[in-house]
Order: sequence, then structure tokens, then C-alpha cells
Amino acid sequence: MQVIRKWLTIVGVLLLIAVVVFAYGYNELSMKKKTDVIVILKTIDPSVEFWQVLIDGVHEAAQEFNANVQIWGTEKETDVDEQISLVENAIEKRPDVIVLAATDYQRLVPISEKIKKSGIKLVIVDSGIKSDAADSVVATDNVNAGREAGEAMKDLIKGTAQIAIISYVKDAASHIDREKGIREVIENYPEIEVLGTYNSEGSEQNAYLLAKEILQVHPDTLGIIGLNEPTTVGAGRAIQELELKGKVQLIGFDSSFNEIKLLDEGIMKATVIQKPFQMGYLSIKTAVEVVKGKRVSKLIDTGSLLITKENMYVEENQKLLFPFVEN
Amino acid sequence: MMTIIIMSVTFYYLAKDAVKSTAQTYTTELVKQVNNNIKSYINGMKYMSNVVAGNYAVQAYLSSNRFNSLKEEKDYKETISDMLGAMLASRTDIRSANIFGYGGQFVSGRKELELNPYVDITSMDWYTNAQKSSGRSVISSSHVQPIFKDQYPWVVSLSRELVSKDGTKKLGIFLVDLNFSVMNDMFKDIRLGQRGYLFIIDSEGRIVYHPQQQLVYSNLKSEMIDKVLEVKNGTFISDQGSDRRMYTVQESEFGWKIVGVSYVDELVDNQSEVLLSIVLLGAVCIIIAIFISLFLSKRVSQPIKRLQGYMKEVEKGNFDIHVPVPQTVELYMLARAFNMMVGKIKELMTQTVLDQELKRKSEISALQAQINPHFLYNTLDSIVWMAESNKSREVVLMTSALAKLFRSSISKGEELVAIRTEIEHITNYLMIQKMRYKNKLDYQIEISELVLEYRMIKLILQPLVENAIYHGVKMKQGPGLIRISSEEKDKDIILIVEDNGNGMDEGKLKSLLNPTAVTEGGRGVGVRNVQERIKLYYGSQYGLTYHSILGVGTTVYIRIPKSR
Repeated sequence: MQVIRKWLTIVGVLLLIAVVVFAYGYNELSMKKKTDVIVILKTIDPSVEFWQVLIDGVHEAAQEFNANVQIWGTEKETDVDEQISLVENAIEKRPDVIVLAATDYQRLVPISEKIKKSGIKLVIVDSGIKSDAADSVVATDNVNAGREAGEAMKDLIKGTAQIAIISYVKDAASHIDREKGIREVIENYPEIEVLGTYNSEGSEQNAYLLAKEILQVHPDTLGIIGLNEPTTVGAGRAIQELELKGKVQLIGFDSSFNEIKLLDEGIMKATVIQKPFQMGYLSIKTAVEVVKGKRVSKLIDTGSLLITKENMYVEENQKLLFPFVEN
Repeated sequence: MMTIIIMSVTFYYLAKDAVKSTAQTYTTELVKQVNNNIKSYINGMKYMSNVVAGNYAVQAYLSSNRFNSLKEEKDYKETISDMLGAMLASRTDIRSANIFGYGGQFVSGRKELELNPYVDITSMDWYTNAQKSSGRSVISSSHVQPIFKDQYPWVVSLSRELVSKDGTKKLGIFLVDLNFSVMNDMFKDIRLGQRGYLFIIDSEGRIVYHPQQQLVYSNLKSEMIDKVLEVKNGTFISDQGSDRRMYTVQESEFGWKIVGVSYVDELVDNQSEVLLSIVLLGAVCIIIAIFISLFLSKRVSQPIKRLQGYMKEVEKGNFDIHVPVPQTVELYMLARAFNMMVGKIKELMTQTVLDQELKRKSEISALQAQINPHFLYNTLDSIVWMAESNKSREVVLMTSALAKLFRSSISKGEELVAIRTEIEHITNYLMIQKMRYKNKLDYQIEISELVLEYRMIKLILQPLVENAIYHGVKMKQGPGLIRISSEEKDKDIILIVEDNGNGMDEGKLKSLLNPTAVTEGGRGVGVRNVQERIKLYYGSQYGLTYHSILGVGTTVYIRIPKSR
């Protein structure tokens, strides 16, 4: 009897311990470990709407896919060294995955290789690197975006024409692709001559000056394509100043207050916009999937859209063109 | 255990229903609350439109084609602008309030606002819709308002056509814009569970607010807008495979539909959590129950077991037991009763032993009393016979022997006597008998000095010797011999009385010591008495053993313990 009771007590205690351990373990499991994500953007400057909208998308996805997201970024888009050191810090924090928008096509390659070597997953968003280290790239298909701009330009000008392309920086992957897309379309129309691609070296003022010079030197120039926001706005200023509205067609990329004004005023005929919210959202979605070991496509195109004065206030486009940034 | 399981299962189902209905009630309440908040904003704007529509200055300014002077027109404009401005001052949520006259007049509550020259106001949705609605207020969806220079704010517009008091003349459009950020701030923090959210559509299914609006537009997400438009108020569950969502729809007065979306599998998640916690709770309860039962058995069954042990002990005959009385009420009574019972039994046992003792003593004295008259009768008979034959010397001898005999047996009241005394006694007796039977009887007594020192119950030998004489030697032809001797065996003494008389056959021998056998002529009465007395006094292993051969003689062995 004594022995039985002793055993019973032991069994009871073991059972209790088992239950407690089980409960604790299950609880841990049911917490469904959050995916740790560090997002490193080109800039977190709140005045740059593009990145702010992208961040909104990141937050939305973080909520939906149960990710623990930290968003880092440099003060200025041009500060490549600062971004490299941010990535270094991120590696030390050992997240599950790093989402990176590279400020430089070449210089971010070694540190990206290092991310891979330390066993952290890498998802590239918006701007790629000259390496296939990334598990996935979530970005606008810029060649396609360039094609859209080229098509729009072709539709605007009739007959023989000269057009100019103004780029922002020399080695940005997005600009290279966009130019490629434009040229692909224009090549089919021998009557349209591409004067060349002019590099504004990262300044709106330069773009303005360049545009002014082009328009003065080549009075027959009928079209200008700015490869990004500052180049477009700069060119727009030049057209406005030279009072060539209506004669010179301007097509741009991206959207901003100034670009909307140019569109509203009719100086800019169309702009090809990207979908930063989708980029942010899909980059986190893809990052979580990569961590969970799902197969993801190497390249995810978030799409682009041609906005003209006619469709700028259409319900669907309003949200893209006039992002509602929550401050 | 069963109770716990049944309770757990019941509780689980109750909890499951509760979770579902709570989620539904919560969502419905939340959606209603949101509706109320929106309503208060819209009502604020409606109030403004009512004030403006009925305002005298507005009517006058818009209906007159000509003014007496530029100053008069300016004054009117000033008055209206001030009135609108006053309304705006108290409302931070209102972005602007404006009047657009059909005659090209424009008055804004914010004087700094300039119209955007590149936008055609008359093509705006809010403008055309107001015209179509003939004097009723129209609420737009959320949209970008591009009509002011350098501004592209997100607003919700209320517009209304202004009509002259007599209703004959259409004067213009009144527009009030609500900062959409006010609503957005309210909606964006609303979460239904981990992934659930809230969205709003207008009567045509256009999205007023959706946290993932852009995803919906680019088909990354689909929303059941058609179904929502069908439902007026209430709840339905979309069946989109793994992503089942519960839609709670609430229609507002002005045509918007506020929709709460919760993920069904999240509710199910909750349910499985509830299930888990119930299982755990049940397990814990069972364990606790086991411990309680162990404790109870310790408290209740253990004392009973112990009591059982004591009872076994009592069964074995140990009555010197006192059960410790436990604290438990039930067992306290039991143990007490048991103790009382054992006490009573013990008392009764002692009583019985005492009674037995008394009975035995009385029996012994009765036996002794039985012997004496028997012998006395015979002896006195002999004395009479001798006296008749004038054998006075023998009479004297016999009488004095008889006197000695009686002294030794009567004078001392004790039961135990020294064997020496017993032998003296038997010698006297044999002497008396020898006188009676002369040459027909001879005797020898050979007892060692050591044996003589022990003690035994008195009057054992005499009945046996008497028996040997009357039934052995007396019946025999020729002289008889009675021999009394002793043997020592470790702890016992054996006294032997042998005669060379007639002896007995088997039957006689058997009946001799059988207490129930009918005896002829009183034979065996004495022998049986002796046997009973020895057994009573010393115990059953002691007593008499007879050996007899017909015509040769009889030997009696008397086994008694050594005692001093």
C-alpha cells in the first residue's frame, strides 16, 4: 500500500510537470515566432514621398505577415558609405532577413555577399545590385517602364522629331534599364532621332541647365524624357521658362508635387509612376516567404503606370499619384 | 474525473460559441461606433450647408445680376466669406467651405485660397452630382481636391446646389471639404484581431477608405465589394479557401457602407487556444483530484486500515489495545466505539476467566469432597469388621492411621502438597488396607528423595491405589502386590502405580478414562476425578495413562510437572 501510494505520487508529480512543460512549449509554439526583418532604404528622409509610401507598404505587410520590422536608412540617397555601414550593423543584429534598396549598383555588392555568407536572407527592393546574391528582387521592371514612356512619346509627336533623354546618375540600374526601354521603342521609328542621353550628375539644377541648353542648341527638339523626378522637374522648368509649352513634349518618371503641377499645367504630358506601396508590401511578403523556405521568384515586378492629365484624377490613380502619407 | 471531462467539453463548446458571438458583437459595435463618428463629421458639414443655403447674404449675392457698385459686391463677398470663415474657425477637420455661383462668383471661407487655373471646376464629380441632386446634399467618396492652386489634399466633399428662396432659380454650388486625414487617422488604428481591418465604400462601390487600397487596385488583394453592396446590414462569411473572412456591414444614412473584416481562421486560432487551455485546465483538475483523493485516503482510509490492523490484533487475542483516536469526525466515532468494544470484551473475558477459576475451584473441592466419604465408608466398615472380631490392636492401629490420613488431607487447606506428604498419606492408606486384606495385599513404595521434595495436587495417588486394590488385587487368586515408584523426565515427574492384579481388557480400559461412559458399581469415578483434576490444574498435556494386560496386572502413569 505504501509503495503504491509512493508511485502514485511520483506519477502525479511527473504528470503535472509534463503538463506544465507541454503548456509552456505549446504557448511558445503558438506565439508563432515573428520573422525579424531589417529594412534598409536609400533614405528615410520624411520629405521624400516615394520612400514614405514604400514604408507604409512595409508596415501594412508586417502586420499581415507577422513580421518584426525595423526600418533604417540614410539621411541622403547619395550617402553610399553610410548605407554600407548600416548594412554592417544590420548583419551584427542577426535578423532573419535583410531587405535592401541599394544606393549603388556596384559598391553594395561586397556587403551583400557578406549578408549571404552570414546566413541571413537578402531581398532587394527597388534598386538592385550587380550580383545575384539576393534571394529575390522586388522592383519595377524598369525596361518595361521605359517602354511605356517611349510609347507615350511616340504617340505625342508626329513626323520627324528629335528627342533628348536626361539621366540623373550614371550608374543607377534603374536609369540604365529605363533608357534601354525607351530606346527599344524609339528604334522602331526611324523618323525619331534620339539626340542622346545627358547626365545631370545628380542635380535638378543641372537637369534644368542641360534642358535649356538642349532646347537652345537644337530648336527642333520636340521631346524630352526625364528619367526620374528631379530631371523631369528641371526640364519642366526649362520648358516653362522658354515658353515652349505645347511645342516641346515632356515625359517624366515618378510623381511629386512639382510633377503633378507640371501635369496639371500641361507642361508635362505624362509620367510613368512606380508603385512604392506595392514594393514595400511585396518586399516584406517575399522576405517572410524566403525565411519560411517557400519558393519565390527571383524577380518580382511591382508594375508601373502611365499617368496623363486625363487619367490623373481617376479613382485608382489618385491613390498612386497623390499618396496619402500618414505622418 | 468524468465530471471534469464533461465539464471541460461543455465549457469548450460554450466558449467556442461565446468567442464567435463576442467577435461578431464586438465587430458590429465597433462598426456602429465608426459609423456614428463619421456621421458626426457629415452632420457637421450638413449643418453648415443648411446655414449657407438659407443665408440671406448668400441668396442676395448670388441672385442679383448687377450690383449698384463694386463696393457693394465686395461687401457682400466679404460678409459671406467672414461667415464661412467663422464656421471654419471652430472646425479643424474642415479644410475649406466655398460657394461657386453660376454667374462665375467664387467665395471661400479661406481668403488666401486661389483657384487652380488648369482645373475645370464644372467637370468635377462633386459639382455635377450636386447639380443632379437638386438641392440635396451630396457626399463624395474620398478624393484628391485639385481645385485650389498648389494644393492637392485628400478630402471628403459635401456639395449642394443653392436654390433661391422661392425655388425658381438655381444660384450655384456650395462645397465643403472635410480633411480626409481626420477619418484616416481614426480608421487606421482600428484592427480586428491580428489581421482584420475596416474599410468603407460609397454607394457605387468606390473605396472611401481601405488600408490596403493600392493592393486592391492592383489586384494583389480582392475584396468582396459586390457582396457588400448587396447586403444592407449584417454579417456574412466569404469563402475564399484558406483565407475565410467575416464581413460585418453597416450602412450609413448617406450611402456609405462601413465594413469590418475579420479573419475566420484567427477566430479558429482563438478557439484552439481555448480548447488547449481547457484541456490543460482539465488535466490540472484531474491531477489536483488525484492529490486530493490521496490526501483523503491518507486521512480517511489510512485510519481505517490501521483500525483493521488493530482488529486483526484483537482477533489474535490481544485485547491490550487502545486505538489512537484520529481527528476526523467520522473516524473519531468509529475508533472510540472500537475502543469501547475492545474494553468491554476485555472486561467480559476477565470476568469469564474469573468465573472459570471459581468454577474449577469449586469442582476440585467437590471432587475432594467426593473421595473422602467413599473411603471413610470402606475404612469404617473395616474397623467395624475388626472390632467385631475383637482385634482391638488392629482397630487402634487402623484408627490412628485413619486419623493421620485425615489430618494430612484436611488440616491443610492448600491444594498443593509436597509429594512427601502425599506419599505419607498413601502409606497410611495402604497400611489401613493391608490390615484389611492381610496377606492378600502387599505393597512397595520406592520414591527417590529428590522427587519427594516437589509438590503436587493432593489426593491423586489414593484413588488410584484404591482402584488397584478393589479392581485388581482383590479379584486375584493369591497374594497381590502394589508398587508405587517414580521417574524423572526433564520438566516432568511420572509417578507409577502398578499392581499384579486381574488387569483389564481393552473395553474396560477405554471406558475407564472416558468421562461419559457409564460405570458399573461406581468404578472409575475416582480415576476420572483424578484425571480431570490434573488436566484442570496443570493443563491437557498432563494426566493419567493406563497399561493393562488381562491376568497380569495394570500400570498407571501419572504425569505431572515439576513444581516446588
